[in-house]
Amino acid sequence: MALDLVIVTPEGEAFSGLVKQVVLPGSEGQFGVLEQHERVLAPLQHGVVEIKTDGGSQWAAVSNGFADVAGERVVVLADACTLAADIDQSGVEEAKSEAESELASLGDGEEHDARRETLTEIVRQSEVQLEVLSK
Amino acid sequence: MPSLKDIKRRITSVESTQKITSAMKMVAAAKLRRAQETIENARPYAERMRSTLEQVAGSMATVEHPLFEVRDDVRSIELIIITSDRGLAGAFNNAVIKLAEQLLAEREGSLDKVSLTLLGKKVADFYKRHRPGDVREAAPVGNNPTYAEAAGVARAAAKRFEEGEVDEVILVYSEFVTTMTQTPRVVQLLPVSPPKTAEDAAPASEEDAAPYDIEPSPESLLSVLVPKAVETEVFRALLENAAGEHAARMTAMESATKNTEELIDKLTLQFNRARQAAITSELVEIVTGAQALD
Repeated sequence: MALDLVIVTPEGEAFSGLVKQVVLPGSEGQFGVLEQHERVLAPLQHGVVEIKTDGGSQWAAVSNGFADVAGERVVVLADACTLAADIDQSGVEEAKSEAESELASLGDGEEHDARRETLTEIVRQSEVQLEVLSK
Repeated sequence: MPSLKDIKRRITSVESTQKITSAMKMVAAAKLRRAQETIENARPYAERMRSTLEQVAGSMATVEHPLFEVRDDVRSIELIIITSDRGLAGAFNNAVIKLAEQLLAEREGSLDKVSLTLLGKKVADFYKRHRPGDVREAAPVGNNPTYAEAAGVARAAAKRFEEGEVDEVILVYSEFVTTMTQTPRVVQLLPVSPPKTAEDAAPASEEDAAPYDIEPSPESLLSVLVPKAVETEVFRALLENAAGEHAARMTAMESATKNTEELIDKLTLQFNRARQAAITSELVEIVTGAQALD
């Protein structure tokens, strides 16, 4: 239990604590980090993070970030991160379907470029959160 | 001379205005506290972002990214202007709009095209009236700006920049300095000024100098980090705008409350004088009546 894991998002610290192992969704595929890992800087994609402690596993949804691993310390920077315990299934499903229907109604006009990107991001984040719940 | 009843009515109306302004002040104060917390929460992320970007760039001989490209002949610029959705916040929104207008007046001569991305109803209303042809996208900022919204705006702008549709993207927003001061600012969002490379940056400390294994490659990580830096900048501007809005409203409502107090004092004095005058004239009438009987 000597891996110090911190997950930081623009909205604050999502997780911080000592863990045994963490499995991250790297952009080149999943990878696990145990203590004494070599220094690595790797981008992450939208995906599921598995946090293993003595008490069992915890899952979290992260989107779009990178991990900075050095010895006993792992820092994950992500656009968003939600722990499984904090995910409200019906809320996420609702947000997802709302975003999808708005996306469908926007059309292709360039006056909605930014809104479209935002909605796409919400849909992707919701999908990952739902995937976490199925674990 | 207004009658006693008129003055009484005015006092009551000013008193109810005072209730509204002082309630608005308290609401703004509470919201300001929350907005400041959000800014604090965002800080560690932004700092780690920046230091990682510097580290990655520091390990490379040359850094290249499409978003660094400075174009010699700037023909088309995009302005992202951020204000609040609602007014009653003193000069807060107007200061931003004024700065944007100034910027446009200075630069427009050499440009073929200006496009505006407007966040916040106040600025959207203004430009929909004054430059409807240049407005590309307008959206309210809402009560709690999310990172996804900021990312959407930043990604759309970065895409247009990479495709060559715009040559420069400029952000105009209010910086939250203190509760009393909000300063409108102009920041160049794109092209991003490149971080220092291995050649011009000396390793800062032993720890930073430790060899990093960057997977799959420094270039690929840079392509993740640079757009993220842009997104973070937009997000920060949104948060500063939110905090500034509440601070400005708090200050405006405080002085409004103070003004109503003064007005009530003045009206009360007027009311008392009028009442006294009425009593005096009544007395005079009675006395004169009594004397006439003698």
